[in-house]
Amino acid sequence: MLELDRVAHSYGQTLVFRDISCKFGAGSVTLLLGGNGAGKSTLLRVMAGLTRPSFGTVRFAEKSGKIGHLAHSTFVYPALTALENLTFWREAYCLAATRDEMFKILERVGLAARACDRAGTFSRGMAQRLNLARILLLDPDVLLLDEPDTGLDAASRALLRRELLEARGRGACVVLASHDIASDAPLADRVLLLENGRLAHDGPPSPFFPPLAGAEQACCA
Amino acid sequence: MLRMTLAVLRKDMTLTLLRGSGLAQVLLLGLLLVFVFSLSQGVGESLSARNAAAVFWLSSAFCQVLIFNQLYALEEINNSRLGLLLCPAPIQAVWLGKAVAGIVLLLLAQCIFLPATIVFLGQNLVGPLKPALAILFLTDTGMCALGSLLGALAQGQTTRESLLSIVLFPLLAPLLLAGTGIGAQVFGSVDPDGPGAWLGLAAAFDAIFLGAGLLLFAFLYTGDE
Repeated sequence: MLELDRVAHSYGQTLVFRDISCKFGAGSVTLLLGGNGAGKSTLLRVMAGLTRPSFGTVRFAEKSGKIGHLAHSTFVYPALTALENLTFWREAYCLAATRDEMFKILERVGLAARACDRAGTFSRGMAQRLNLARILLLDPDVLLLDEPDTGLDAASRALLRRELLEARGRGACVVLASHDIASDAPLADRVLLLENGRLAHDGPPSPFFPPLAGAEQACCA
Repeated sequence: MLRMTLAVLRKDMTLTLLRGSGLAQVLLLGLLLVFVFSLSQGVGESLSARNAAAVFWLSSAFCQVLIFNQLYALEEINNSRLGLLLCPAPIQAVWLGKAVAGIVLLLLAQCIFLPATIVFLGQNLVGPLKPALAILFLTDTGMCALGSLLGALAQGQTTRESLLSIVLFPLLAPLLLAGTGIGAQVFGSVDPDGPGAWLGLAAAFDAIFLGAGLLLFAFLYTGDE
């Protein structure tokens, strides 16, 4: 579904990563690990098409145009209500969801009671839930998650993981960048480890689950 | 593309007119300019028709900078720009939606500036109305096509506001000349050549700015920080 071919990226003279080649299939969850500054977020942006790689190519097997990107930024307009935010993204993504369907999605993320409240009154966790609702509305074929649970409470994290697994069940290709190996490794079919600008590990999550102290230190150093 | 354009337009109008600070800052700046120029006249005097038209378009040009800073800043609050870039429709829809929103907001502001120019600068509407409306539409279209393009260019820059005005004003000169030329006739100045040449100039620059917007916007409005 998604293929990286010898992808490299640098910011000016600073090389972030190089020679990244891998394929991501449908119905899979890939966990992307690496320390701070390893280039996880940049790699996800390159995969989403938000950043042009300095070298190499990113290919999509099916050109559906439905790429979901969930990161620290919530993409929420604070002065619009939750429902107005969803309505805007429905129109921008040219989707056919009805008002009832949008309400159901807000119910799924626990925001139905606040549908007509301005998003500016929401906590960080609620804003991220609204962002998740945007992703659910889109129903993407490729879902790229960049530490999406930052600042979320336990219930919101559980919701996020449930939706992530449902997306995999629907055949989506999910790539999740995370530092939380203990929680996320069990969800993954595959783990990629970015280290020193290269792909240091590409394989099953077994070396990281149960998380070994050494591995955790290597990832999060 | 049309659906996304309308979505951006509707969202921007809602956020600017109903939920934001509205046009208060824009109107205040424009009216201040007109008022300050009115102080340059002695008692019982009035500015020449050409000067009054120039003040009207100067107010409009300054307001346009504020309008596009405000419109593009809406996408920066929670990085919604990235969400727009992931939409399947051509990204030029954002340029077009914001340009149309800019035209509507600028026209609303000009509805206040025109009476202010007449009252404070001692003018009368005596010239032909059709060329006046045509030049208003053509000049506003060109100004907003360019403003929307350069508003995108200035995003993410710490010197955003100054960059927009520094690049914008020299490029707007032909349109402002055309607007002032016909504006002067509307306020009673006699031009033997009539409005035709000015309308042609404005239409030509509109075509250039619209073409430039469609071609260049995708290179300027990107996900790069």
